[in-house]
Amino acid sequence: MINKIKLDKILKKVEKPARYIGMEKNSIKKNLSEVSVKFAFSFPDVYEVGMSHLGMHILYNLINNEENYVCERVFSPWIDMEEEMRKEGLPLFTLENKEEVRNFDLIGFTLQYEMSYTNILNILDLSNIPFYSKDRDDSYPLIIAGGPCAYNPEPIADFIDLFVIGEGEEVTLELLKLYEENKKENWDKNLFLRKAANIEGIYIPAFYDVLYNEDKTIKEMFPIVEGAPSVINKRIVKNLDEMYTPDKMIVPFIDTVHDRITMELFRGCTHGCRFCQAGMVYRPIREKSPDRLMEIAENLLDSTGYETISLSSLSSCDYTSLELLTKQLIEKYEDRKVGVSLPSLRLDSFSIDVLKEIERVRKSGLTFAPEAGSQRLRDVINKGVSEDDLVKAISYAFKEGWSRIKLYFMIGLPTETDEDVMGIKHLSYLVKDLFFNRPPQERKGNFKLTASASCFVPKPFTPLQWYGQDTIEEFMRKIYLVKNSIKDNKVSFNYHDADLSYLEAIFARGDRRLSKLLVKAWEKGCKYDGWSDLFKFDTWMAAIEETDIDPYFYANRTRKEDEIFPWDFINPGVNKSYLLKEYRRAIEGERTPDCRKGCRACGIQNCEMWGVFN
Amino acid sequence: MIFRAVFTKKNYLRYISHLDMVRLFHRTFNMAMIPIKYSEGFNPHPKFSIGNPLSLGVESEEEYMDIEMNKEMDIDEFIERMNKALPEDIQILRAASLEKAPAVSSMIEWSFYELKFMTESEIDLNELSRILQLWLEKDQILMKKMKKKGKGKIEVDVDIKPLIGNLVVKEKDEDGFIVLNSLLKSGEHGNLKPINFLETMERDLFIGIDLESIMLKRLGQYAQENSQIYKPL
Repeated sequence: MINKIKLDKILKKVEKPARYIGMEKNSIKKNLSEVSVKFAFSFPDVYEVGMSHLGMHILYNLINNEENYVCERVFSPWIDMEEEMRKEGLPLFTLENKEEVRNFDLIGFTLQYEMSYTNILNILDLSNIPFYSKDRDDSYPLIIAGGPCAYNPEPIADFIDLFVIGEGEEVTLELLKLYEENKKENWDKNLFLRKAANIEGIYIPAFYDVLYNEDKTIKEMFPIVEGAPSVINKRIVKNLDEMYTPDKMIVPFIDTVHDRITMELFRGCTHGCRFCQAGMVYRPIREKSPDRLMEIAENLLDSTGYETISLSSLSSCDYTSLELLTKQLIEKYEDRKVGVSLPSLRLDSFSIDVLKEIERVRKSGLTFAPEAGSQRLRDVINKGVSEDDLVKAISYAFKEGWSRIKLYFMIGLPTETDEDVMGIKHLSYLVKDLFFNRPPQERKGNFKLTASASCFVPKPFTPLQWYGQDTIEEFMRKIYLVKNSIKDNKVSFNYHDADLSYLEAIFARGDRRLSKLLVKAWEKGCKYDGWSDLFKFDTWMAAIEETDIDPYFYANRTRKEDEIFPWDFINPGVNKSYLLKEYRRAIEGERTPDCRKGCRACGIQNCEMWGVFN
Repeated sequence: MIFRAVFTKKNYLRYISHLDMVRLFHRTFNMAMIPIKYSEGFNPHPKFSIGNPLSLGVESEEEYMDIEMNKEMDIDEFIERMNKALPEDIQILRAASLEKAPAVSSMIEWSFYELKFMTESEIDLNELSRILQLWLEKDQILMKKMKKKGKGKIEVDVDIKPLIGNLVVKEKDEDGFIVLNSLLKSGEHGNLKPINFLETMERDLFIGIDLESIMLKRLGQYAQENSQIYKPL
């Protein structure tokens, strides 16, 4: 246990000390000397962000549910806390037992976004653990990682002993069981890793080597240890109803990003938007039954005291029994004042009817994501929304009393012209006119439209993985084109930082050679890069220069069709040949319909869509 | 009908802010299925109030809360259900149903504190007692306070002597902390924060208090009638 007098001294000085105390409702504190495997779950961001992440709640309960295992939490301390900890020489500790992270058997990082990588290094440093796996002897905890960014693990491959690729509900316990068995005998990290390499979905980066071509692209990646598979298949949980789902979740004392119950409706998505990594790697589509969800809702409401349930998925309206489920939830819990919230909505009148049902009291704003301003460009990215859909849905929403609309767009999409970019203004003004063309007596509320544009980052395992990102200058030129053209106090235009998206693009499609850049950037003081006020672009550029990294090679270069990618050794179920076919169709502006309207042979095995729709 | 409850706030939970406490109780009422009254309107919220909010970082043995109930409920069952849903360091000690009573927040006049701190050098407890006694016998004890003036703030001297009820040197505990007890004016009708009290003590007397080491705990809260003080429950 860490020095508690020092901790108290620090807690009195820092902002939001409750970030570091644990003790929340449903948190679990076991006696660490009575368990056989100690797992520290680490979310490399601040408490309020990490606690809003559903995956953490699942794995936390999954592991603690096993009598002999313990899972404790550790987050990135905020800047003020870190400063005080370094001043007092206090090492990083877990929230439950206030035990040094260094004394755990495994530390598991969840990789939710690329710009959290420097925070991983910072957590290791604060725990007095060396960065590079080759520098850690058997006395150090095993450093493992999983989550969406593990689909391209290579930029952090030198730091991590073991990656989990795909869904963690089943493989986590398989892994911990193997760990427990090996720890009983004389602990030998290398021997354990060799055995772990046989578990489906486990990737041990040290067991592979990479050869490069003269043009810096990859020539070959191959196993150097016998038994290490040449292809890593992602893990998929087959039946979500039978899958482990916690009946309680930790309830933070302080306000977090999503301070509510989150229930997963289904995994996977059939729309096939070409920019979307989640839509590709989370296939096939698998639903939870409404009965099971009602059961989960009851457990969670009783154990947390929350009053809001958020129904989460990649596209909520696709859930087959959405109307039934929301109706049941609202009827059953009406007197308990439970509200239901529904993010990720599609643009149609059905969605609005559902919303009408659940948002009985106050009509908050509506958010839609056309993603691109012109029909041509929406066809390129296969976003199946037409201007007509938008007009119908929004007119209906205005009729029903909504008046505040948010529209999300991306800038820098393949084949984009200035005309396409100006489509953002066109759509925004169209929506404004829809409101003000209604007879004055039928206009309800104060109209406000916010159009937000983010800078497109091409991601691995998407049809657009070959495409070179726009330069920062080009992004800014396009952004100002729109910004300067919008002159209306009812319409506002926001945009995201192009600098940050540029770095995100470098790491999203990065390879093993980037580890030295991460270390250099961290040494120069980069952390919390996802926080725009803490992001140090100039420092990053200096680190890039000092480590002789060519940012163009990673971010802006359009890849040849036959290039070997750093992530090609992972099999997410969807074939590379399918992604390439989709890439070509994108450039041609050819739409590909939803899987539900016919199978596109993406490569996913045992997909429900086959039986249901063919 | 009003339920008045007394609860603790101990150990690490002293780092939970007043606003977070309100949210915690709100959820606890839900979990424990307490028939609490809700306000009317678009965004109904449960009707309860915590009297005399505690500063962040201060522990308490005795916090007060008034809850407006929708239905009658057995007090013991109320306590049991609440304590099951509450964290172990925030627990209801006692509660009572009141037909009519002024709000607890308007009743509280005094708080009794435990003040703990380390000193830069060894200090004799008898000597400390003597110094503090002399200090309290002064006509005025002035505290620096920032006061709004126009757009800015200015520093003014405030006499805190009437806000001090008593002050006793208790002991030096096993961790080496000097422990004092003190009754200080508290609540809506005048308030002296224990931390400001200690800062003023140090500024006047140079005891050598390590201000970073200070640990505070509220031991009790009192209402006052004439010269008598009494607990609101």
